[in-house]
Amino acid sequence: MNNITVPIGPQHPLLKEPLSFLVSLEGEKVTDSTLRLGYVHRGIEKLAERRTYIQNVYLIERICGICSHIHSTTYCQSVEALLKLKVPKRGLYIRMLLCELERIHSHLLWLGVLSKNIGFNTLFMYAWRDREIVLNIMEEISGGRVSHSVNIIGGVRVDINEKHLSLLQKSLQELTIRVEEILRSIENDRSFRARTRNIGNLSLEDIKRFCVVGPVARASGLDIDIRRDAPYAAYDELDFEVPLMTEGDVWARSILRILETIQAIRLCTQIIHNLPDGPVSVTAPRRVPAGEVVSRAEAPRGEVFYYIRSDDSQKPARLKIRTPTLTTLITLPGQLKNMQLADVSAVIAGVDLCIACGDR
Amino acid sequence: MNKFILKIRSFFYLLPNITEALFSKPETIAYPAVSHRPSESYRGSVRIIAVNCVGCGLCVRDCPAAALSLEKVSKGCFRLDHYRDRCASCGQCEMSCKFNSIYLDNSYKEASADRVDFFEVLVDKTKKK
Amino acid sequence: MNQLNLFFRIFIFPGFLFLLVTALFLHWLDRKLIARFQGRVGPPWYQPLADLVRLFAKEDILPVGSNLFFAALLPLISFASVLTASFYLPIAIQSAPSFQGDFIVLLFLLSMPSLMYFLAGWVTRGVYSVIGGNRALLQYFSYEVLFLLAMSGTAIASGSWSLADIRLEQIKESPFIFLQIIGFLLSLAGLIGKLKREPFDIPKAKSEVIAGALTEFSGKKLALWYLTIHLQTMVGLSFLIHCYFSGFWQMNTISGFFIFLLLLIILQGVLSAISAIYARLRIDQLIHLNWHIFIPIALLHNIYILLI
Repeated sequence: MNNITVPIGPQHPLLKEPLSFLVSLEGEKVTDSTLRLGYVHRGIEKLAERRTYIQNVYLIERICGICSHIHSTTYCQSVEALLKLKVPKRGLYIRMLLCELERIHSHLLWLGVLSKNIGFNTLFMYAWRDREIVLNIMEEISGGRVSHSVNIIGGVRVDINEKHLSLLQKSLQELTIRVEEILRSIENDRSFRARTRNIGNLSLEDIKRFCVVGPVARASGLDIDIRRDAPYAAYDELDFEVPLMTEGDVWARSILRILETIQAIRLCTQIIHNLPDGPVSVTAPRRVPAGEVVSRAEAPRGEVFYYIRSDDSQKPARLKIRTPTLTTLITLPGQLKNMQLADVSAVIAGVDLCIACGDR
Repeated sequence: MNKFILKIRSFFYLLPNITEALFSKPETIAYPAVSHRPSESYRGSVRIIAVNCVGCGLCVRDCPAAALSLEKVSKGCFRLDHYRDRCASCGQCEMSCKFNSIYLDNSYKEASADRVDFFEVLVDKTKKK
Repeated sequence: MNQLNLFFRIFIFPGFLFLLVTALFLHWLDRKLIARFQGRVGPPWYQPLADLVRLFAKEDILPVGSNLFFAALLPLISFASVLTASFYLPIAIQSAPSFQGDFIVLLFLLSMPSLMYFLAGWVTRGVYSVIGGNRALLQYFSYEVLFLLAMSGTAIASGSWSLADIRLEQIKESPFIFLQIIGFLLSLAGLIGKLKREPFDIPKAKSEVIAGALTEFSGKKLALWYLTIHLQTMVGLSFLIHCYFSGFWQMNTISGFFIFLLLLIILQGVLSAISAIYARLRIDQLIHLNWHIFIPIALLHNIYILLI
């Protein structure tokens, strides 16, 4: 058969964000693929050096729409470490509540995108319908469905009252039932298994060689999770499990992410039952003394890593961000060899790319 | 017995779900025929209580998108402009203001085809009475 | 008066206008049902008509290097063949001219659009079109055979290749649906493969080849393809109803017409439900399903019909 080069190009119905993939086909089999990034590069790290620490909270939030709260949490944690501030417990709990709600919404969004790309539109609509519950909670608490703007340096700026707590309890119960139904659908439906089983296998050696983190690594057997290994923001006071699977294909990643969603709902229920009283923030000085700090957090896609170096001023001297998507992207050309074109969409959707995070 | 039923159902797993969804109320609304109101705490447009504003400039200094600008003529005589197309509805101005003057309500920003429509003068205290 | 009668029959009912209106109505029903299955509101009743009007108003361009003559000819041939197919099919009010072998002619005319689809992908040279066209050709070779084999069960049971005889046999005894339920399900699967509906829509999978062979078409040509696909659905469903459910109504009566419409709506509902509950299958899974599972069952079924 002839050789065709299919551009899964900057604009494609498969991708949420622009990414250039040139896939060389021979018949229906993929022989080679080339990856190009940089279509959404906005120079966030340079822009952050021109703005004050307070203004940077909103800039950092807009690196990515799906994991925006985690980015601003890590940033605020770093600056609070530089200022040697101690955030009150209630503020930390509210931060964790929104982190876990964001994890739920990110995994349900990802499941919808995977289902759409393998042609399973009904599961796409059901997953996004259940995601609306989470988005409504976030709109009530923080004022925005996607960009929450809850973190400030020194704590959070919203508080949870009785109305929010009752809404949370009702919604979390409904969400538990629906997510468990989704888990059963994925485990049992034959057409979903036929499209995702034994597709895109990554072995444990590949994971360690490319330094992959997050659900992709946990689905191949690597047991890492920053919330348990290096707890931040009062995660050491809560009780949760970290699911682990060993097959390493797209099906294992799907099951793992839904199991993580169920754990996240469990964490949210613990948070709203054990919410301590007190203030939600402390005032932070505008001028940050000189120093450098490294801070990590567990985003829905893996470990996100921040480095800030400050001189004695109101603007940071250097901000360096390392997002989990970058390493996952590099494993893609290796995964796509000897695969059919139809499986390319399942694999690309199955690794849960967030190109805006990767490009910054 | 349950495992056997599950094995049979696995060939058409979502059939009970779709019959249930057919006879319940749909989750989407036919916007814009049906109107939608966001919740009370939604961060929408920037509004001002003009009598409280003294022109200190804290909101201007802290805005991350440079959407506010202050033009001072003399003490007590100033004009505060707002560029609604740059505003990201983050709410930092509401937090920085010490005089309870600028705040966010839950209205949507209207769309327009011309940038000029987005320029708004919030407070105009340039003429002394 | 005969001229007026002929004009009425060809253009108004059961000709051009009636076919178009029913085809667009069935398409709307399909989209509304799938939307309700997924928990959405769905489009209003005038949506397919609005789409058609909008397509006629769009610009009609093709890539450099495509064969403009064939790109304009292929949608016309498909549209014409589907309309001619509907001429031979009795749609519950008028009895159409019937002869020995019109069963085969109808099957051939209904399969023309799939062949034209592959050629359309080849003629407008684009990466996605060629891949979509190749996949459509593979699917054409498999699922047309299945459709023919499964529908032949009814022809074998009635002993002739004429549509009128198939109907007479069902009026004499019972409608074929009661004896040949497996054949009916297999012809339904063959119809889904012919029409390239979910779950067999890999030739026009939106997440891989954007729109398959029709990616580069726009404007009036795409409007003709749109009409062809919906007419093919309607004629295919009418063919199924005629061959399996014929004993339920009488010709040339109002009640017969309404029973026919009701059966059309129910079968379209079954097709929409099947589209909603499955993920899209890969091309090698499709071929495996067809040749390893469906065709053997169809052959055994036909042998069983022959013996009884």
